[in-house]
Amino acid sequence: MKAPANLLFFVLVFLLQVVLSDYLHLGPWLYLCLIPFIILHIPLSRSPHYVMLIAFALGLGLDVLSLGVPGLNAFAAVMAAAPRKTFYRWLVNRDRQDQTEVPTLRGVGIAKYSKYLGAVTAVYLTAYILLDCVSFRPASFILIKFAVSTAASLAAGLLLAVAIQKRI
Amino acid sequence: MKSRYGLLSTLTAIVLFIVLETLSLLLVVERGVVQRYKVLGAVHAVESWFWQRTSQIGYYLNYRAENERLAAENLQLRQQLAQYAAARQQLDSLVRIVEPGYTYIGANVIRNTVDRQHNFLILDRGSGDGLEKGMGVVTARGVVGIISSVTRHYAYVISLLNTDQSVSAKLSGNASFGPMSWKGTDPREAVVSEIPVHVQVAPGDTVFSSGYSTIYPPDIPLGCVVETKVSKGSSQELTVRLFEDFRSLHGVYVVQNMRKEEIGELYEGAR
Repeated sequence: MKAPANLLFFVLVFLLQVVLSDYLHLGPWLYLCLIPFIILHIPLSRSPHYVMLIAFALGLGLDVLSLGVPGLNAFAAVMAAAPRKTFYRWLVNRDRQDQTEVPTLRGVGIAKYSKYLGAVTAVYLTAYILLDCVSFRPASFILIKFAVSTAASLAAGLLLAVAIQKRI
Repeated sequence: MKSRYGLLSTLTAIVLFIVLETLSLLLVVERGVVQRYKVLGAVHAVESWFWQRTSQIGYYLNYRAENERLAAENLQLRQQLAQYAAARQQLDSLVRIVEPGYTYIGANVIRNTVDRQHNFLILDRGSGDGLEKGMGVVTARGVVGIISSVTRHYAYVISLLNTDQSVSAKLSGNASFGPMSWKGTDPREAVVSEIPVHVQVAPGDTVFSSGYSTIYPPDIPLGCVVETKVSKGSSQELTVRLFEDFRSLHGVYVVQNMRKEEIGELYEGAR
């Protein structure tokens, strides 16, 4: 897939995230987030500074456009962006042979891709839900929300990965 | 040389991480909506215009239910008016009628969230209509929230369905009161805490606003008790089914306490 088309796809994913956050009432138990999917697809050759700044901008943009608490998604996005490369080395490229610029579902296989996406999504949601709910809501609520949201976001991310694969 | 560059890069990445996370946390703590409105006024003007149009479509689709609700509310108010008129005739010769001290401004909800932990509403009235930060928002079936910021044409309300909000509530039939806050899951369930253990509460008892704040008037029915339990051995926690369904909010009233400043001055003087 060409770079401009790629960029357009991720802009559309971001707008979809805004619509999901702003207009779709999924209930208090579920937070469907697609930002980790976008963070994952920033080329691995990019510096951590670049990735964190992009993640911060995406998170803050989402907070502002969906009239959420400003800083909530920005905090979670930076938290997820920072260990992205480490997760890649641990979960996808343990033997350091793969020199992929952007890991894809087809390139690394569904198992590794799911683990990679799942890890980044889990970090994002841990930061988001803890900052949103901790000290206000019981641990059971936080745990259930985390489990439901991670599963749903991972599933949505995999669907998007399949969609982007068809465009390549 | 390469390792020195690598170390420097890692260090600057850590510093950038700390700076961005600190900035995010500061924004979370501040939650200054006014600031966002000022910075992104044009964006929100477009969004507000869009919400107003979409809310109007939703209103027309649901106008029958809304009309029925307003008719029922009208009937109830007429009955109350008749009762007050009769009572006033009896009291006029005995006492001077005291001004209630509150005025109400009607507004429509053009944006409303119920599934977040920090829910909010946008009203189609703003500073140009006399709305100010800190005013309460109510309906005939409960309290809705507090205005957090206003622009000329719109007001941003922190919903009662929010971790930061509570309202002073009292029980019917006795003087017990305590803070009522949202439970965080069901938009129709709230919890009243700090009710003494010796107070007898039964499922079905009605909970009203106490009026012990300068924001909400007293005696607004909030909901009815569905469950009681002893919390930490010293007080009761009451689960309340709210009368107001936040998912179908449309028309609301903004409350202005005409004596708020006077009460504030008294409070400051006492301190």
